[in-house]
Amino acid sequence: MAACYGAGALSSLLAWWSGRLALGVGHLAALAGAVVGLGVSLGVLLGDPGRTLTQPLPVVFPFARLSLSVDGLSAYFLLVISLVAVAASIYGPAYLRAHSPDAGPARQAAQVVALNVFLGCMAFVCCAGDALSFLLCWEGMTLASYVLVVSDDRDGENARAGLLYMVMAHGGTALLLVAFLALTERAGAFDFTALRVAAGGLDSATRTTLFFLALGGFATKAGVVPLHVWLPRAHPAAPSHVSALMSGVMLKVAIYGILRFAFDLLAPAVEPLPSSWGWTVLVVGTTSAVLGVLYALQQHDLKRLLAFHSVENIGIILIGVGLAMILWRREIAGGALATVALTAALLHTVNHAAFKGLLFLAAGSVLCRTHVRNMEELGGLARRMPWTAGLFLLGAIAISALPPLNGFVSEWLTFQALLGGASHFRGPAGLSIVFSAAMLALTGGLAAACFAKAFGVTFLGRPRTPHAEHATEAPPSMIAGMVWLGAVCVALGVAPGYAMRLLDAPTAELLHGPGASAVVTARGPLVLSAALTPSGTNATAISMTVVAALLIALTAMAWVLRRGLRRAPQRGAPTWTCGMSPTARFDYTATAFAKPLRLIFATLYHLRREVIRETAGTPYVVRRIHYTGEVMDLAETQIYHRVERGISGLSQAIRARSTGRIHGYIAFVLGALFVALLLFGVGPR
Amino acid sequence: MNPETVQTIIDDLGALLLFTMILIIAARQISHAIHAVAAQSLLIAIAGAVLATATGNEDLWVIAGVTLAIKAIVLPWVLHWVVRRLNVRREIEPVIAISATLALAVGVVVMSFHLSASLGPVRQAITGNALPVGIALTLLGVLVMATRKTALTQMVGLFASENGIFFTAMAVTQGMPLIIEIGVILDVILAALVMTIMVLRVRSTVDADIADLDRLRG
Repeated sequence: MAACYGAGALSSLLAWWSGRLALGVGHLAALAGAVVGLGVSLGVLLGDPGRTLTQPLPVVFPFARLSLSVDGLSAYFLLVISLVAVAASIYGPAYLRAHSPDAGPARQAAQVVALNVFLGCMAFVCCAGDALSFLLCWEGMTLASYVLVVSDDRDGENARAGLLYMVMAHGGTALLLVAFLALTERAGAFDFTALRVAAGGLDSATRTTLFFLALGGFATKAGVVPLHVWLPRAHPAAPSHVSALMSGVMLKVAIYGILRFAFDLLAPAVEPLPSSWGWTVLVVGTTSAVLGVLYALQQHDLKRLLAFHSVENIGIILIGVGLAMILWRREIAGGALATVALTAALLHTVNHAAFKGLLFLAAGSVLCRTHVRNMEELGGLARRMPWTAGLFLLGAIAISALPPLNGFVSEWLTFQALLGGASHFRGPAGLSIVFSAAMLALTGGLAAACFAKAFGVTFLGRPRTPHAEHATEAPPSMIAGMVWLGAVCVALGVAPGYAMRLLDAPTAELLHGPGASAVVTARGPLVLSAALTPSGTNATAISMTVVAALLIALTAMAWVLRRGLRRAPQRGAPTWTCGMSPTARFDYTATAFAKPLRLIFATLYHLRREVIRETAGTPYVVRRIHYTGEVMDLAETQIYHRVERGISGLSQAIRARSTGRIHGYIAFVLGALFVALLLFGVGPR
Repeated sequence: MNPETVQTIIDDLGALLLFTMILIIAARQISHAIHAVAAQSLLIAIAGAVLATATGNEDLWVIAGVTLAIKAIVLPWVLHWVVRRLNVRREIEPVIAISATLALAVGVVVMSFHLSASLGPVRQAITGNALPVGIALTLLGVLVMATRKTALTQMVGLFASENGIFFTAMAVTQGMPLIIEIGVILDVILAALVMTIMVLRVRSTVDADIADLDRLRG
C-alpha cells in the first residue's frame, strides 16, 4: 500500500516534467495520479478500521523529519480530490484546445505544470504527516492555483483577481503559520503526533486562541463570509476545469484543515471542545450559506454565480462541522448526534465536489463554445448542446437539494442533525440552532430559484446573440469528464448507503465514537435514516432508491398519459405576440427573473441601478431604455472598503512626514538599535 | 592549538578588524575604503581558519574559503569596477565631518564593550573579545551608511556591517550550520548585485546618486 502511494507521488512528480511535452501527456499523468490517489484512499477507507498508512519522506531539512500519513480523514479527502481530478484531467486538454486555440506552447506548458503541481499539492496537504510538509504543500497549492488563475486570459481583470487572491491567501497562510509554529515550538518537532502531545498541555485560553488563528487561516481559503471576496473573482478567471477543482476541491482542503485542527490536533483529551468554537463555526457557516446564495442569485456571469454557490455550500458544510463541534462529548446519547452532523458535513463535502465540479465543467463547455460568460447573452443552448444542457440540469437539481440526487441526501442529514441537536439545548441555544435550520431551508429554496434562473436563461428560450446561436456540442472527451461526475452525483444520491461505509473510518477516528453507518441506518443501498429518536422509530427514514424509482415511475406515467391523451390534431404556429414577430428579447432575462428576490432582500444588496431613457421629442415616445443594475457585496463595502480607506489614509499621513533622505532613515535605524541595545542589553547583570 | 593561544589570536584579529573599521571611517577616498573592507574580509577569513583548526569543524574551512573568495576578492573587485565605470569623483562625500564620525565611532566602540560586559554568561562561551568587536563592527558599518552620501560608500558600509555580523556568529557559535552561513553569503552577493545594478541604472538614466532620491518625494 505504501509502495502504491509512492507510485502516486512519483507519477505526479513525473507529470510536472512531462507537462512540457504536451497538454495530453500532462493531463494523462494527472489522471494517472488521480486514479492512484483514488486507489489509495479507497484502500484505506475500506480496509481495516483505524489503519494509518505512514511513509517517511527523504530528509530535505536538517531540522525536521517529513512524513506522509494517511488516516481515515486524509483518505476521505484524498478520495474527494481524486474524484474531481479524474474528471478535470479527462476534460482539460479538449477544453484548453477549444477555449484558447491560439495559446502558445509556453502558456499551455505552464498551465499543465501548474495543474499537476496544484493537484499534487492538494493531495499531499491532506496526507501530510507533519506541519512543515503541510505548510509547504499548502503554499504550493496557493501558488499553483494563482498561476492557473492568471493564465487563462491576458487581461487586467484576471491579473487583479489573481492579486486579490494572492493577498488573501497569504494573509490566511500567515495565520496558519502562527498557529502551527506556536504548536511546533512547544512540541519541539514538526510531526502531528508530537503536536498532539504538545497540544495536550495547553491551557484553554491558548488553545482557543490557536484554534481561532487556524480557523481564520482556513476560512480565508474556504471563502467563508466575510473572507470570501477573492473567491467570486478568482474562480471564474481560471480555466473551467481548474475552476471546478478550486471550487469543488481546494475549498474542501480548508475544511480538512479545520477538522484536523479542531478534532485532532487541538482537541482536549477528554473534555468537550470549548463551546465558543462550535458556535462560531455554526454562525459563520449559516451566514455564509445565506449570503452566498443571495449574492449568487444576482449574478449574471455563469461562472461567478457558481463561485458564489461555493460560498453557500461551504457554509452548509460548516453548519454540519460546527454542530458536530458543539455536540461532541456533550450529549448523553453516546455521541450519535455529533456523528450524524459530521457525517452530514463530510457527505456534503463529496457531494458538493461532485455537483459543483459538474456545473463548472458544463459552464466551461458553454464558455468554450460561445466565449460568453454572461447569461443574458446566451439562451436556447439546450437544442444546440443537448448533453451539456442535460448534465447541467442534473448538477442543478443536485445542488438545489432536490431528491433523488446527492445534494438532497446530505442537506437532509444536516437538517436531521440540526433538528435533533436543537432538542438537546434549552433557551437561546436551541433557538439559534433551529434558526440555523430555518436558514438552511431558505438557502435550499433560494438555490433552487437561482438554478431555475441559471438553467432557464442559459439553456432555454431563444438564443439572444449570435454567439449562442452558432454554438455546437462540446467535444466527446469533455462530455466524458462531465458524465463521470454526473454518474457520481446519481450514485451518491440513489445509493447513499454505500457512501456511509466510506464515512465510517473518518467519523469514528475523529470523534472516537461510533462510525457513520452505526448512527445512520442505511440498509444496503436502500433506506437512509438517522437513528436519533430514542425509541428507534424510523419516522424520518427515507429510502432514496424508492424515491428515485417513484419519480421515474411518475415521469413514465405522465409521459404515457400524455402520449395516450394526444388525440387532437396538432398544428404548429408561431407564438401570438400581439401582432409583433417574436424575438429573443421577449424571453425572461436573468435580471428580471431575480427581480422579486432583489426587492425582498434589497437591504442586503446595496442596489445600485441606473435607468436612462432616450425619448424622441415628446416624453411619451420612448426610443430606448438603458438599464444598468449592480449589486454590491455587503462585506466588500462595509469591511474591505473601509480598511482600504484606512490604509491609504495612513500611508498619505506617513508620506507627508517622511523626508525621503536615505541617510536619515539609516541614522534612524542606527539610533533605534542603539537605544534598544542600551535598554535591553544592560538589563540583568 | 590550546584554547589560550586561540583566544589571543582571535583577540588580536579583533583588534585588527576594529583598526580596519577605523580606516574605513577615516578614508577620504573611495578606493581606500574598499581596500580596507577587503582587508577586513581577509582577516575574517583568517579568523575562520583559526577557529577551524581549533575546533576541528570542517564547515568552518569551507566558510573561510568562501569568505576569502567572495568577500575579500570578488566584491572589492566589483566595487572598484563600479568606481571606474561610473567615473565618479574619488573623494568621499560625508554628510557630517569625518572627524565627527570618528568621535561617534569611539562612542560606539566604548558602548559595545560596556554592553557585552553585562552579558556575563554569554561571554564565557565566547572566544575572547569577539562579541564586543562584532557588535562594534556591525554598528559602525551602519554608521558609515548613515554618514556617507554616495551609494558606493554605503555599499562599503553594508559590507563592513555584514562582516561584523559574520564575525560575531562565527565566534559565538564556533561555526553555524553550513547552510546558514552559505545563505548569509548568498545574501551579500545578492545585495551587492542589486545595489550595483541600481547604482548603475540610476546614474545612467537620471544622472543622480542615491542621495538625491529625496527629490522623488511627493
